[in-house]
Amino acid sequence: MNFKRFQGRSKKDRDFAEEIESHLAHEEDLNRARGLTPQEAHRQANLRFGNPRTVREREWRFRSLPFVEDLGRDFRFALRSFSKSPAFTAITILVIAVGIGVNTAVFSVVNTVLLRPLTYPDPQALVQLVNISPRGAFPGASIPRFNLWRQQTAIFQQVAAEDFGGAGLNITGGDHPQQVQGIHVSADYFAMYGAPLAAGRTFTAAEDSPNGGHVTVLSYSLWKSRYAGNPNIVGATIQLDGQPYLIVGIIGPHFVTENPADLWVPYQFDLNSHDMVQFFTVNARLRPGVTIPQANAQLRLAADQFRREYGANALPPDGGFGVQSLQESLIGDTRLRLFVLLAAVACVLLIACANVANLLLAKAASRKREFATRAALGAGRIQIIRQLLVESLTLSLAGGLIGLALGYAGVRLLLRINPGDIPRIGEDGAGIALDLNVLLFTLAISLLTGVLFGLAPALRASRTSLSVALNENGSHASVGVRGGKLRSALVIVEMALTVVLVIGAALLMRTFMKLQSVDPGFALRNVLSMTMSISGDRFQTSAPVAQLIQQGADRLHALPGVLDAGVSNCLPMADGFGMSFDVVGRPHGKGPVTGGAGFCSISYGYFSTLQIPLLRGRAFTRADIASAPAVVVINQAFARQYWPTTAANQDPLKDRIQIGPGAGPAFAEGPRMVVGIVGDTHDRGPDSDPTPMMYIPLAQMPDLETALNSRVAPLYWFVRTQSDPHTFINPIAAALREASAGLPVAHVLTMSEIEARNIARQRLNMLLLAVFGSAGLLMAAIGVYGVMSYSVQQRTHELGVRMALGAPTANLRNMVLRHGMTLTLIDVLLGGGGALWLTRFLASFLFGVKPLDPISFLAPPLLLTLVALVSVWAPAIRATRVDPMTALRTE
Amino acid sequence: MILKKPPEAGEILQGTLDMLILRTLVLQPAHGHTIAHAIEQTSENALEVEQGSLYPALHRLEDRGWVSSEWGVSDNNRRAKFYRLTDKGRKELDAATGRWRKMTRAIDLILGQSFE
Repeated sequence: MNFKRFQGRSKKDRDFAEEIESHLAHEEDLNRARGLTPQEAHRQANLRFGNPRTVREREWRFRSLPFVEDLGRDFRFALRSFSKSPAFTAITILVIAVGIGVNTAVFSVVNTVLLRPLTYPDPQALVQLVNISPRGAFPGASIPRFNLWRQQTAIFQQVAAEDFGGAGLNITGGDHPQQVQGIHVSADYFAMYGAPLAAGRTFTAAEDSPNGGHVTVLSYSLWKSRYAGNPNIVGATIQLDGQPYLIVGIIGPHFVTENPADLWVPYQFDLNSHDMVQFFTVNARLRPGVTIPQANAQLRLAADQFRREYGANALPPDGGFGVQSLQESLIGDTRLRLFVLLAAVACVLLIACANVANLLLAKAASRKREFATRAALGAGRIQIIRQLLVESLTLSLAGGLIGLALGYAGVRLLLRINPGDIPRIGEDGAGIALDLNVLLFTLAISLLTGVLFGLAPALRASRTSLSVALNENGSHASVGVRGGKLRSALVIVEMALTVVLVIGAALLMRTFMKLQSVDPGFALRNVLSMTMSISGDRFQTSAPVAQLIQQGADRLHALPGVLDAGVSNCLPMADGFGMSFDVVGRPHGKGPVTGGAGFCSISYGYFSTLQIPLLRGRAFTRADIASAPAVVVINQAFARQYWPTTAANQDPLKDRIQIGPGAGPAFAEGPRMVVGIVGDTHDRGPDSDPTPMMYIPLAQMPDLETALNSRVAPLYWFVRTQSDPHTFINPIAAALREASAGLPVAHVLTMSEIEARNIARQRLNMLLLAVFGSAGLLMAAIGVYGVMSYSVQQRTHELGVRMALGAPTANLRNMVLRHGMTLTLIDVLLGGGGALWLTRFLASFLFGVKPLDPISFLAPPLLLTLVALVSVWAPAIRATRVDPMTALRTE
Repeated sequence: MILKKPPEAGEILQGTLDMLILRTLVLQPAHGHTIAHAIEQTSENALEVEQGSLYPALHRLEDRGWVSSEWGVSDNNRRAKFYRLTDKGRKELDAATGRWRKMTRAIDLILGQSFE
């Protein structure tokens, strides 16, 4: 296409007009020369040339892109028409902005969590190694497994081990000891993730082997915050838990791992170990071109090799190894959760669309004469539809722009208040970015919305019958029965969707209330928890740990206001350790052991501090030291599951338990006497049943297990106080530091805060659906009100006649009410039916509430009916105030 | 907006008007009116130029850079827009003439052979 033709169009046209003048003048000259009269010469010239206007117009059009120009004209017309009704325009844009805003907000989360690739180079090749059992696939690795996996060089480029969470390390040897997130990793960790180096180097293979020396790599943020970005720190030595560590390197900025770390130290595994404890996790980078199914096939062979080498006890016949995309395993079940939210916001958007379509239909009715006039002047149906669509698209794009800002600001604000346990969104949702995906999404739904709510009114308006519309009296112009039906249908759709939303919100609200009312099994009030890292060489055996606990507890008890103090190596309401066990003397069933249960080592004050009730026997005392008889306390769930009958020979307190048979040298110990039964705790969160638990005294842990434990988990201190525990934080920290010769505490939280964090996910779900539900309710109310008051306005004449004929006002009011409530009844039935079908997708988010919970299904329709009644009331009252004389005179 | 078919150029075959205009301008620049009459007279009035479509054709040729234009004064002492053949236009005329000769020869051959 020759673009010259579109340039300087007006100038060219003026030029052309002059040229035509000149041509006609020459032709006239010629005609006069032939002997014609001046008039005849002029007439002939014009006749010969034809209509100059047509010629010019043809050329003008040739020099234009008609579609673009018409759109531009329609757009300018739309702006003029909006400026005439600013209130209507503002309301419409606001409704659209809310609809698009919530969609943008949820989509930006979806985008960050599900769509955006991990921040590492070539993230598709990163996989997590999992153990496959009939119960599913779970991450976790022992040294022999890691060793076997890292030998699969045909499929893996790098294989690296890292801590699940990390025990925390203490930077000592200064005025301010600091507990930092130190993560143990194997040497290939940095190469696998493609971590950039700011200075120095990462670990060598030699440094990651037993006796490789004490080395560490710092994160960029720790380097900046604690060492002020001093480049000379590489090669210097820092004290970690009293041991000198050589800093060999600093990782560059922007290296953000899913398991955040301040510094890294090498694992230094003894790869010849036969220790079967799974205490870390392993990720790998696939070789280029290797697919996940190929890797899984290779790992099936590796599993056979593992069984041959370590025996069938190490890996049951139905168990195996596999890989999962790292991104997939990070996302977990968040996918379904986000899809439910997406469905909810799509619902809100549809409600908004129905609402705006309704407003536009009402407006179109009052503009009927305008369209008829345009049609009479030669505008085709297409032109009228196009003009109305341009209007609705202008509205929807304006709404989309505001919605984008609204949604982005809203999602950041919401996640700051409540991050809701969503992976990958960063601290307080800071990872949620406004990228091209989000912009395109918002643009797309804005356009879609504009067409969706604009099409029906546009089609209706374009069907206007000319003679009827022009002949109708202006004030009496009506869209007729058909328009009324369309509007009623829109309101029905809108309200039915609202019923679905509100029922969903009600179900989640009831879930949240049920969760909050679950007794966690331990005290939440006035209990403080904090971590103390004991990763140093001082705590490689159990005796110093027991001593630390005793000294710490004594000092805490001496503090005024402190009621009790206890220690454990697991946090209630968090995933803890699991361990297999045998009941001594009991024949095995099918499996190699009696069963498996949660496992936690605690101090003597633990139960009393957390007020976990003792049901039978005794709790641990100071006397349960290493040299005393080995003891274990179980919880009620454990007792119920493994001693199901109460027969005399079925008493757990008369049995002994062998914990961790065959789990490896670290867990080698004798059987323990069951001395007590305590109440259940909801350790996996309030929405799961209590796990069977075994508690042993920290003082009686095998030394090797203590050594292992100190590397993977910190000690948790629990302190119960007389009043608000926050006021005790400083004295408690000071007391513990004194008792431990300088160990700092970190992650100080009250138990209530931990509990709130545990149900943050349900709280966010509920909060969001409640917001969406109320938005829907508000819009539905506007919709019903709009339709009813419009219908009353349309029927003014009819009402006037009825009144003149003597109809009582109550009848008129009831007539309008009946109409409105019939609509509502249809909505409620439709919406309830839709919700019946849709709530199955919510089932996995519910707790203590059936998907067909009667309260959740009855309350929202009642609420909606009430809202509808209020919305219909005003128009109904207006119907009774119709003055028959005025109504009839408008004819 | 339906784009109408370009107006039939009198009896002038479609696409040949451009060539005729260019040919008319070979000797000297001319304005639209002169061009129309030159074509009609040179063809002994066998061809009639529809004046309304002459100018769009001229403007199209100008857009393509085959002619250039400037306002001047005609023999009648009136203002008129004069069109001048450019080098590019001259080349196009050669090419178009060649194409035309080839085609008419081919048509001649067929007509001459099969008639009688």
